Amino acid sequence: MRTAGRYLPLALLLAAWEAASRLGWVPQSMLPSLSGVLALWWRLFTEGEIYTHGGASLLRAGAGLALSILVGIVLGILMSWSRPVRRALQPLVGILYPLPKSALIPILMIWLGIGHLSKVAVIFLGCLLPVVLSSFNGANGVDRTLIWSAQSLGAGRRSILREIVIPAALPEILSGIRIALALSFVLLVSSEMLAAREGLGFLISFLGEAGNYEGMFAAVFTVAALGFAADRGYLALVRWALRWREA
Amino acid sequence: MLGNAASPLVVLVAWESFARSGFVSAYLLPPASAVALRLAEAVWSGEILREGGRTLVRMLVGYVLAAALGVALGVLIARVRVVRWFMDPLVSIGFPAPKISFLPIFILWFGLFDLPKIVMTVFACVFPVITATWAGTDGVDKYLIWSAQNMGTRNRALLWEIVLPAALPQVFTGLQVALPIAFIVVIVTEMLTGGGGLGGGMMEGQRFADSTRVFANLVAVGVLGILAMKGLAFLRRRLLVWHEEVQREGTVA
Amino acid sequence: MSREKILIQQVGHTYTPPTGAPVRALENVSLEVGENEFVALVGPSGCGKSTLLYMVGGFLPLREGRILVDGRSVEGPGPDRGIVFQHFALFPWKTVRQNVLYGLEKQGMEPARRREVAQRFLDMVKLSGFEDVYPSQLSGGMKQRVAIARTLAIDPGVLLMDEPFGALDAQTRGLLQEELLAIWGRTRKSVLFVTHDVREAVYLADRVAVMTARPGRIKAVLEMRLPRPRGADVQRSPEFVERSEEIWKLVREEAERAEGLPGR
Repeated sequence: MRTAGRYLPLALLLAAWEAASRLGWVPQSMLPSLSGVLALWWRLFTEGEIYTHGGASLLRAGAGLALSILVGIVLGILMSWSRPVRRALQPLVGILYPLPKSALIPILMIWLGIGHLSKVAVIFLGCLLPVVLSSFNGANGVDRTLIWSAQSLGAGRRSILREIVIPAALPEILSGIRIALALSFVLLVSSEMLAAREGLGFLISFLGEAGNYEGMFAAVFTVAALGFAADRGYLALVRWALRWREA
Repeated sequence: MLGNAASPLVVLVAWESFARSGFVSAYLLPPASAVALRLAEAVWSGEILREGGRTLVRMLVGYVLAAALGVALGVLIARVRVVRWFMDPLVSIGFPAPKISFLPIFILWFGLFDLPKIVMTVFACVFPVITATWAGTDGVDKYLIWSAQNMGTRNRALLWEIVLPAALPQVFTGLQVALPIAFIVVIVTEMLTGGGGLGGGMMEGQRFADSTRVFANLVAVGVLGILAMKGLAFLRRRLLVWHEEVQREGTVA
Repeated sequence: MSREKILIQQVGHTYTPPTGAPVRALENVSLEVGENEFVALVGPSGCGKSTLLYMVGGFLPLREGRILVDGRSVEGPGPDRGIVFQHFALFPWKTVRQNVLYGLEKQGMEPARRREVAQRFLDMVKLSGFEDVYPSQLSGGMKQRVAIARTLAIDPGVLLMDEPFGALDAQTRGLLQEELLAIWGRTRKSVLFVTHDVREAVYLADRVAVMTARPGRIKAVLEMRLPRPRGADVQRSPEFVERSEEIWKLVREEAERAEGLPGR
């Protein structure tokens, strides 16, 4: 009951929206009625369009994100653990960090066209840095008395990296992945809106250009809802993975 | 210090030699020298300044508006119960949603020129600022407040003299998170709605198969990003001089 | 074959912080800990007592002087020198039992025997029933008991303790001091125990070494000569009070020097 109360302001806003379009305060061309949007949303789901586009989008985002997590963690931890790797990679990371990742889209379109691969590449490259940085900082920030304890209990360098550094760095790594998750959605939608033949971003612009504003709104909310659900789902996963943290 | 420049130099050399090797066409990978040349031309002709300036202005206007709005809202949410009740679901739902997906709606409402770009930037950047300000204001050490009240500070002065300075580190962190978001959003909106700027220039380059132009603009964007971040970091060091030192003291002992 | 378990000879150490001038932490420090002997190391804050302990543990590099443990010079950390830290250093993602099992796994002990040994030490520190709990759910005193069990389980030759009770409240500290004495009484390992609490040092140790303010040197080493086994009531005996006063006077001189106050 309390959770329902928490979202009450939202319900009020939605009611105001419906009232505004019903009462003609806002022209239909600017803000289609809520009921119209909902009707179209329902149609998108029952007529199956949403699944092809949604599926393509999720596939691309999932692949790009998974790759960036894998490579990012490895690189970040290597940078922390090995001085030559750090010296080689740190200046590159420093230069690439301020670059807005969306700026990579045109180049990757030139190289990889407008199909799945360019989107996956954009997401992979764009999400890589947050994961690298958080893995690097997490591994660096491991309390040295944990490492010393492991050493004095007889652990060798390799097993310390695997059994101590990575678990200890996990909270920070996981918060970096959360950022990467949000970023993956942004890059996905951006690149799909720019040039694609399918996908949710494509659907949004397609519907907009066709003048189907109810559909466009419905698609926008689908994406927003997906991003929200992904973040919440991820937080639940993190809570499970870090269950040892709660005092 | 020299070690620091080594790997970027290696990358540049590798880029140049690979581009010239004939394995890839100049379309796919223009040599670094060609890109540098194009950049130099653009600087000389003032094109970079004009387009870069456009991008920068759009970003700054959106960013500053988002900062002001975000801080104000963040403080209000933390301190006024009604505002918190109303804004909490909006912020918690809005924060993880990819706000760029709302761009077509903003285009519908605001057209194609500067306005949707700025509104989009404000919309995307305001959330991290709100969240950070809210957390920072909430998290002010109550003993600081009690000490001030004990010395006779009254409510309005309390906000400006104690709460905001104490929350400033966290607020600033929110601002630092919002800056790259502002850049990403401005570039994307320029790519999608045209109107020049560095993002628009990249899309034109892509459209006309002028990859050198795309690369040149990309470098310009990168430089702009570096300058903006360094600027913000400098500002942080100046404003939070007291905070950094406290942190460093803790580690020496 | 000398009787020293730990031999520290003319050890010096300079510490270079990331920003600022190098600091001379230790100067010509010499100290021995004998077989079955409990030696406490006291001194003002910043005198380098923890630094010295870390060097014996092999965590900090030794560039001046010699440190021999069991006749062998120290080359790095190892299970022959068990260490207990002030902030417990438990692996938070492992349960209590998994923490204690860790060192035993590293020793290559078979699983059945490992569990048996771990259980024995957990019982010894009175934590039976808490084996499958995470450290974040334990109180400070309990965490430190896990840390002690974890270190003792691998049967190190010597025990290094860095202000192990410093992070605990006074009552818990008192309880753990008694428990430590009881456990030590059964195993009688050589212990080098760093603390800033003079009474604790006198209560626990056979000998107490006092360090000067930075750069740390050994100012004096005093024999306690209090009866063993000893209980909490020894703290009321006149000998205890006398020893404590002696040592406190020495530490106080150094503490005043460290604080920049005029010394005597």
